[in-house]
Amino acid sequence: MIRILKTPISEDDVRELNVGDTVEISGYILCGRDAVLPKVVRMIEVGTVGDLGVDLRGQVIFHTAVSPAGVGPTSSNKLEIESSIAPLSEAGIKLHLGKGRLHKETVEALGRSNSAYAVIPPVTALLGSKTSEEKTVAFPELGMEALHLIKVDKYPAVIGAVHGRSIYDEEL
Amino acid sequence: MTKSYDEIVGLVRDALTEAGSTFREDKKEAYKKAIASEHSERAKWVLEQILANAEVAEKNRAPLCDDTGIPHLLLEVGEDCAVTGRMLDAIRAGVAEGLRKLPGRPMGIMGGDKERIDQSGGLDPDPAGVEAAPVLIRRCPDNVIRLHVLMFGGGPAIRAKTYRVFHKHDAQVVLDEIVSWATESVAQLGCSPCTLAIGVGRSHYEAASMMLQAQVDGRYDVQSEMEKEITDRVNKAGIGPLGLHGDTSVLATFMKVGPQRASGVRIVCVRPACCFEPRIATVELDHGDQV
Repeated sequence: MIRILKTPISEDDVRELNVGDTVEISGYILCGRDAVLPKVVRMIEVGTVGDLGVDLRGQVIFHTAVSPAGVGPTSSNKLEIESSIAPLSEAGIKLHLGKGRLHKETVEALGRSNSAYAVIPPVTALLGSKTSEEKTVAFPELGMEALHLIKVDKYPAVIGAVHGRSIYDEEL
Repeated sequence: MTKSYDEIVGLVRDALTEAGSTFREDKKEAYKKAIASEHSERAKWVLEQILANAEVAEKNRAPLCDDTGIPHLLLEVGEDCAVTGRMLDAIRAGVAEGLRKLPGRPMGIMGGDKERIDQSGGLDPDPAGVEAAPVLIRRCPDNVIRLHVLMFGGGPAIRAKTYRVFHKHDAQVVLDEIVSWATESVAQLGCSPCTLAIGVGRSHYEAASMMLQAQVDGRYDVQSEMEKEITDRVNKAGIGPLGLHGDTSVLATFMKVGPQRASGVRIVCVRPACCFEPRIATVELDHGDQV
């Protein structure tokens, strides 16, 4: 069964998810990776995140650049990306979309915030037909690594971590 | 040169876009076989997504992956052929045109040495701002000049390893080490199933160049005993596509062993090429006068 997730994602939406679920994500989602996510975290720390003009509550962050080449997940376990997952979840982000195994501490932090991590296949050509709008939200000087907002239709993904459990730690 | 500068630019441009958007036939077959034999439904779904993505990318001549990669070039030179500086200029111009046409991801970093290291100089908005790696040249038996264009993504570069192995005069020791490195790197990559590209040489440079040549020469339907062993042993770890568990962590291994030195050490380069790699296309740029 495929679970349908539409942004903004509710607390109940996440409560009903299980590790290994296949989901389809639709709506407006944020995109950011190594360069911009630490800057957003810094804004949360100093209390200026409201300046982004985007409500982070219920939002999705896709770990990707946005460029003429399209979108596709970068490794979520890169230092600057994975370290953003806990504080962004505390600030209301409900789903982090990327690829790769997360550390135990990050999986536990997701669980505490009732947030989830989903693995999306790196299928840029297919995702292109499911992406209809894009705009730069903040830090335009970072080019393709700026914080972007895109509109997506039925992005396919597998829930990799939720409720403190990780698909990577499942028994084979 | 029997071909004009502009003709060579066009050939290289088209080869680069093909490399970034197309699976070779033997790779498509390898995916189909993996889908047929995969026991995990989730893994099968991922493999089907990757193959469907390749079909759409080829049809639209669009990037397979948004990390369109860094161009790596292998130039093969036949008996009576000459590589001129003008030809190298045409190849460079063809790479630039290809990156604009694909389009490549604009990820060239601007600035001086320090700025290029810490990325403080900003990104070049032109996809052609991504320079190709130094060109590798080798002899070939055919009387032609042949260019192989490979696009190297960042994920495999993060997980690749080039290091020395004390072989203890037993090839199995080196194979065991390769399997150990590969199993760890494939699990971390996140973009499996991989094609393991392996070079064994006398220096880090030689091992890495062997790794590149292995991707040019390797075929999914032709595997040596050592290549089969490495593939089978890594697959036994059950990492699976995207690390989500399954039978298919590695589609094949492409291994090239170069000349070795009288020493207890071998330098080994292992690159866990991602689910789209090798992204490769080949084009003949010229031929010798005797053809």
